[in-house]
Amino acid sequence: MEYIALTCGFLLILIGIYGALTQSNILRMIVAFTLANTGVNLVIVGIGYINGRTAPILDTAVPVAEAATRIIDPLPQALVLTAIVIGVGITALMLAYAYKLFTLKGSLDITAIKELKW
Amino acid sequence: MVDPILLIAIPLGAAFFLGLLRDEWRTSAYVITLLTLAFVSWVSSSWLLGFSLDKIAPVEILTAGSEPPFSINLRMGLNESVALLMISLTGLLSSIYLKDTLFRLGRRAMAVLLVFVMAMCGIVLTRDIFNLFVFIELTVIATAGLVLLSHNTLSLGAGFKYLVASQIASILLLVGIIFSYHVTGTLNIDGMAGMSNVLIQTSPLAFFLLFIALVIELKPFPANGWALDIYESAHPAFSAILSAATATASLFAVDKILNIGGDNWLPFATGIGILSFIGANLFALAQTHDRRLMGYSSVGQIGLILIIIGQRDILGENYFFIAGGVLLAHAVAKAGLFWMSGLVNARELSAWTALRKRPMLIFAFVSFIALLIGLPPFPGFYAKWELVHVLASEGRIALIVLILFGALLETAYLFRWFGLILRHEDEAPVVACPSQKVAVIYSAVLLGWGLGYIWGELSGFGNLLYTIPLLFALLFLPLEWLPAKLKNTFAIMGLVTWFIVQYPAYDPLQLIFAAIILPGGALVLLASYYNSGRRIGFYPSALWMFAGLSMLIMAEDSFAFFAAWESLTIGSYFLILRGKQSQPHALSYILFSLGGAFLMLLGFALASEGNPLFPLTSLASVASDLAPWVFILLAIAFMTKTAAIGVHIWLPGAHAEAETDVSPLLSGILLKAGLFGLFVLLINMGKQQLYGVELTHVLLWIGAISALLGNMMAIYQEDAKRLLAYSSIAQMGYALFGLALMNHLGWLMALMFVVNHYIYKSMLFLSIGGVAKRTGTKAMYRMGGLITLMPLSFIAVLIGIIAVSGVPPLSGFGGRWIFYNAIMSAEYRLPMVIIFLAGPIAFLYLFRLIHTVFLGQLKDEHRQLKEAPFWIILPQMIYVAFLMIFALAPGLALQKVDGYISRFFPNNGLNWEGLTITSDFGYWSPVSIMIIIGVIFVTLFSWLLFVNRRAQKVKQFNIVYAAERPYRPETTHFAWNFFAPYRKALGFMTQPLVTRFWDTVAELLHTAADLLRRLYTGDGQTYAVQLLAFVVAVYFLGNGVM
Repeated sequence: MEYIALTCGFLLILIGIYGALTQSNILRMIVAFTLANTGVNLVIVGIGYINGRTAPILDTAVPVAEAATRIIDPLPQALVLTAIVIGVGITALMLAYAYKLFTLKGSLDITAIKELKW
Repeated sequence: MVDPILLIAIPLGAAFFLGLLRDEWRTSAYVITLLTLAFVSWVSSSWLLGFSLDKIAPVEILTAGSEPPFSINLRMGLNESVALLMISLTGLLSSIYLKDTLFRLGRRAMAVLLVFVMAMCGIVLTRDIFNLFVFIELTVIATAGLVLLSHNTLSLGAGFKYLVASQIASILLLVGIIFSYHVTGTLNIDGMAGMSNVLIQTSPLAFFLLFIALVIELKPFPANGWALDIYESAHPAFSAILSAATATASLFAVDKILNIGGDNWLPFATGIGILSFIGANLFALAQTHDRRLMGYSSVGQIGLILIIIGQRDILGENYFFIAGGVLLAHAVAKAGLFWMSGLVNARELSAWTALRKRPMLIFAFVSFIALLIGLPPFPGFYAKWELVHVLASEGRIALIVLILFGALLETAYLFRWFGLILRHEDEAPVVACPSQKVAVIYSAVLLGWGLGYIWGELSGFGNLLYTIPLLFALLFLPLEWLPAKLKNTFAIMGLVTWFIVQYPAYDPLQLIFAAIILPGGALVLLASYYNSGRRIGFYPSALWMFAGLSMLIMAEDSFAFFAAWESLTIGSYFLILRGKQSQPHALSYILFSLGGAFLMLLGFALASEGNPLFPLTSLASVASDLAPWVFILLAIAFMTKTAAIGVHIWLPGAHAEAETDVSPLLSGILLKAGLFGLFVLLINMGKQQLYGVELTHVLLWIGAISALLGNMMAIYQEDAKRLLAYSSIAQMGYALFGLALMNHLGWLMALMFVVNHYIYKSMLFLSIGGVAKRTGTKAMYRMGGLITLMPLSFIAVLIGIIAVSGVPPLSGFGGRWIFYNAIMSAEYRLPMVIIFLAGPIAFLYLFRLIHTVFLGQLKDEHRQLKEAPFWIILPQMIYVAFLMIFALAPGLALQKVDGYISRFFPNNGLNWEGLTITSDFGYWSPVSIMIIIGVIFVTLFSWLLFVNRRAQKVKQFNIVYAAERPYRPETTHFAWNFFAPYRKALGFMTQPLVTRFWDTVAELLHTAADLLRRLYTGDGQTYAVQLLAFVVAVYFLGNGVM
């Protein structure tokens, strides 16, 4: 089960990075990066998963005393939350850039932004 | 102590609070921003004081009420507090600088700025790897956010490219973090470090991803096109933060993370560091855009620090001293330079000439580039010294060579830039300098000097800012507003007083050099009374040079010697740069000199086997396998100063284009520093052999060839000062030859040259300088017949050339006499022939000098000329008197020295009894020679007067305009191409081969830089591909290490 998650995660990362490097439309690049981020999040969650265990919610189903042996690693899930929030922040920022670049240059073509070089 | 958690909480709170304010309340928002940053700076500095003065222990700050690894913890220690202070001060000063911009952009920009500073503090403080990731992402968001606020298309594009690169870095980092966590079961950096073995063995790739992601944040060459674009396009105050503060924080992160990887990963840092340091500095050579150049320079400097991080296993307790010195010096300097770039309106390097009219800003600029290069008395200097010594003791010689090469590249473009600022050609527009911006820049200058002081204190080598000569030179900075004549008096008094104070401490060798440097320098400075106005910049530079010189001769250990050497080099560089056409020559001077200094550094480091305070006398006991190499390195270093053939190309321009009273300082005094070095070297190391070649024999050849070619080149010069300059190359060749003879008389002759050359070359430069001042030209064919108008200058030149050429009766003859005796007792025949040959050639140019300038026919436009100014004549007349006295009684100076040399070569000494000096081969009686020559002269002169009484004068137009008007009138003048026949015969020997060689080297470097920098295509996706390629390449190249 976790291997499927991990494989999917890495596939998504690769697809995302490939997209970001080959698509010249800035919006498509941003979407590609979100894909890659999703892949990373999947990998993080997949790493925390332990076969045959349950969600790390301590209630009547999982008493505190048995928690250590019955739940999966809760930490990656906490990390993923933060990673998602940061991902959203960066995506928003990139979109803001896309908007501003479009209003100033009238184009979303990344290959057209080459004034600075060498 | 204030809880360090507030360093994060308060800026974050303030940033949120700014969000609640009304948009119009800009002043209150700005005040809150400043107060917050001031608070952060205050907290950091109070911790710093606590750690450094009260020696309190580092503090762990726990969050969420539990111990790590169950919660995030922060650590505050000495290093953290230094970095935090650096970051918060940069933020504070930048926001003061940004006042107008922040008012325009409003509270949102201020909030982002606060978050930016907070995030960098977090990177420094946190000990949790995921927390580190969060703070890094916050830095990225804040960076891109601040860039977004500008309405400039260029910086928008750059910001987007930056985000693309950061996204890739953050993906790598996250994957690395989660796998490292998976292996070690902790997110705590120290916890991971504790399980380092497990992590590296089971999953080196996980750690590699962590490491490389953080390295990418450092913008390593060549995966850094996006970063350079940001540097180039962002607001300079923002680039200042990026270069100073962000770099500090990111380096901190890399340093932390390497704790996890352990020492095996250090070569990665070293390798990437070297690539960045050399690559970025090479590319910077081809830059004309100031901010991009600074960006390259930042990348290079961070590479240097990465190299240092890579050496931390061998640096031991010096690690933070060295890394911190370079890091802080770079941060202050680069922030200062970026702030300064905000004052300059255009972006070409040459536009910085706008600062020329502002001496304080020039001083700031000089301080900043000295901080960057690591010149004394700044922290980088001490750090460089310590670093090279440790590396040498560990046998990492190749690394030293690479570091020094990169540093030389950096010197080249920084000093070229400085030269452009002082260029005299075009009228500079005056820049508007808002007071708050200037205040920010000056506080960076103060910080830089403060750091120099602190590093001097920490170094254990002795604080250069306590040395009296350097302090005396610095004293002239606040006195710059005084008139030049008054400052000149102070300077002369200072030199003479220092000589009197030090007099009892000198041994005879030091005394000879000290006499030339201190009272000798004072004598030359008499000519400076001629200058009116304030002459801003002259006195601090000149006295810095004198300080270096006087410290050099008293130096007892390698550090003091090297510090003095660099000081005198810098001081003289600024003096040379004062000439109107001097810019390229000053640049080649500083490059050769610092190149030489780096060789010296390497030489001392090799010799001392890691002892940074190596006594010079221990040069005698260097291990025999190293000794010849040390000898070669030091000898080349000293010969760059004496301008031996091969490394002479800086001299003619530098000496000829310098101001009238600067040329004698350079030629008469400064050149002697190299000779002094050679004396020290030969006294301590004596003869050395490498693969069976006697190295002193090589020096002998170099001396002989310098003498011959120097003279040859001198005879073809049209420019009188250049003629004298080339003659100096030859004269130093003679001195080198004498030293390399390695016998008693050879050394005596070298010392005699030291004295003689000082006297007659100072005198000749002053008289020719005086003539040039009056005629407005240095070209000899534009002069002529000045004997009646400038008789005193004529007398000085006449006496001078008699002394130089070594004919009786003046002291030059004494030099020759000792010289011939010296060669007779040595067995080198061929170089001897060469040096004999050089003698008559000297006659040719000396004859030309007096003949074309003072004899012949007077030019029409010169009929109204007056004698050279009194203050320029006065020292010349004193020199004439000296030469006479020295000619009559050479024993005054030489007898004591002769005795001193007997310590090293007991045989073949001279006998000084009575008025005659006796050697093994004959005797020399100065007084009787003087009388005989006097009688011959008077007889011939009266005869000449007698036959000349009915001579008819021929005016020059009789011959020149006989027919049509010549295309280039000067070609018909007899003084033009005076020695054309000789040139036809022997000109091949003076082909500028050496000049061509060095030009080609420079050209190759520039072309390479210009071609290779096209790697940065400007395309954001290409940059991202390069970044990934860099990661993959590092991974595979480093595979053997993992």
